[in-house]
Amino acid sequence: MKDLLEEKIKQLKPEDLKKALQVFREKLNQEYAAYFNSCIHCGLCADSCHYYLTHKDVQSLPAYKLNLANGIFKKYFSFVGKNIPGWIGAKEFNQAMVREWVDSLFGRCTLCGRCSLNCSLGINIHLLIRTARSALASIRIVPLGLQSTVDTALEKGNNMGIAKEDWIETVEWLEEELQEEVSDKQAVLPMDKKGARLFYTVNPREPMFFPLSILAVGKIFYAVGESWTFSGDNYDVTNYGYYSGDDEAAATMSDRLVQSMKKLDCKTLVLAECGHGLNANRWEAPEWLSKKYDFEVKSILEIVADYIRQGRIKLDPSLNPNPVTLHDPCNLVRLGGIVEEQRYILKHAVAHFIEMYPNRQKNFCCGGGGGQLAMTRFSQRRLKAGQIKADQIRKTGAKIVATPCHNCIDQLMELNKHYKLGVEVKTICEFAADALIIDKS
Amino acid sequence: MPFIEVKETKIEVNEEGFLANHENWAKEVAEFLAKEEEGTEDLTDDHWAVINYIRNHYLEKKLAPMVRKICKNTGFQLKYIYELFPSGPAKGACKVAGLPKPDGCV
Repeated sequence: MKDLLEEKIKQLKPEDLKKALQVFREKLNQEYAAYFNSCIHCGLCADSCHYYLTHKDVQSLPAYKLNLANGIFKKYFSFVGKNIPGWIGAKEFNQAMVREWVDSLFGRCTLCGRCSLNCSLGINIHLLIRTARSALASIRIVPLGLQSTVDTALEKGNNMGIAKEDWIETVEWLEEELQEEVSDKQAVLPMDKKGARLFYTVNPREPMFFPLSILAVGKIFYAVGESWTFSGDNYDVTNYGYYSGDDEAAATMSDRLVQSMKKLDCKTLVLAECGHGLNANRWEAPEWLSKKYDFEVKSILEIVADYIRQGRIKLDPSLNPNPVTLHDPCNLVRLGGIVEEQRYILKHAVAHFIEMYPNRQKNFCCGGGGGQLAMTRFSQRRLKAGQIKADQIRKTGAKIVATPCHNCIDQLMELNKHYKLGVEVKTICEFAADALIIDKS
Repeated sequence: MPFIEVKETKIEVNEEGFLANHENWAKEVAEFLAKEEEGTEDLTDDHWAVINYIRNHYLEKKLAPMVRKICKNTGFQLKYIYELFPSGPAKGACKVAGLPKPDGCV
């Protein structure tokens, strides 16, 4: 079979390369330009990167990836680089360089930000890598599965192309399941309920293939008698434009949730357990859309932790007796700031909780982020890079891995199979729902 | 691109083991993929009910079916589907049924 991405690279014309450079320049503000001149090659980033630790090749080194982008910055946007390029390592932006960018900046990075955290000069390495991806995305040089996930979301309204009637029928089916589970024919999963307090989003992967996490959240909302709703349209919490670097696509996707908030007149936009969905919709989206939100944006974890704090739900941890460990999704924790809520919920919902090491902001990426799950061409590297996570999990001796991110769940399920870990992988709300004591009075 | 070898025929797959061309699917290919991907030695009638439904849905609509439809048309409980295909409907059942990899977080 033809390598379609390679075909596209071969067909790049000088004007395409010029356009990519222009986009690269537009996105580089003074702060980013200062970063480019700051790396002192101390090497601290090497041991922070799951790709470098598992592959030990120079192309995986964060400083090397940074330098790939930096060489182009110097060549086209610095005085010395323009005139004596060889002197300062300035490099030509041509097809060969595009190939290198794709291989290292898409193929050896999950945008997890662990290198940035460990950089002795505080360089936001992952942000610069994303900026270089933006340049490539502007000429549609994006690995195919990642691009098609962006395209599907733009064309069909959600990243798996789920038809509206299928989504609505799935919710009706889950509603019946919920009624059976709580033995109450009045239990509902509300759809398009105007004026509800919360608008709850989902990852299309849930209704498509793994709906138990939706049922879990529905059960928790039922237990507290929450005023909430799903939306028939524009409910997708994911944002693959964030991964591909396409800010325009990213803005369109995030704006859809804003439209749903307006349509449904809700107070709080509640994001499902999704790492990049939180980072994109809570932190990045107001920038992409150049506007301040006039509503709250919260993770479902914050909502559920509040229910526990306020005594609105009762949990019996003995209902989850097996040892559980927790994987911290990079976009939610290191880059998103939701750190303790998931721990607070688990400590109330499971009998035996074991932290893996390192954890919280210092946690290692599972290897599935940055669009890697969608980029089939790099899947063998992805599995190899996940070895660190597999080792972390194995050392805890836990039987179940909890993680508040469906993207991480999919990678962890693959690591489970590949490294024969013998664990189960679940969302945080599934544990809370399983531990729930529903007071019928 | 990598390939698998079933009954001395080489069949192209992508780097994640999904068939490069769904038309190359056959019963023996499903049996091979089930063993390779799910460690399932013998496909039961229940496995086939899921595989055949997914495959026919795809041939008709060029889309993988939602898990609700798989449950409804086979009469199986959701948890049973996950037991039949431990890697889940996408990387288990759809792959064995010869479908291409779906978009999204899978």
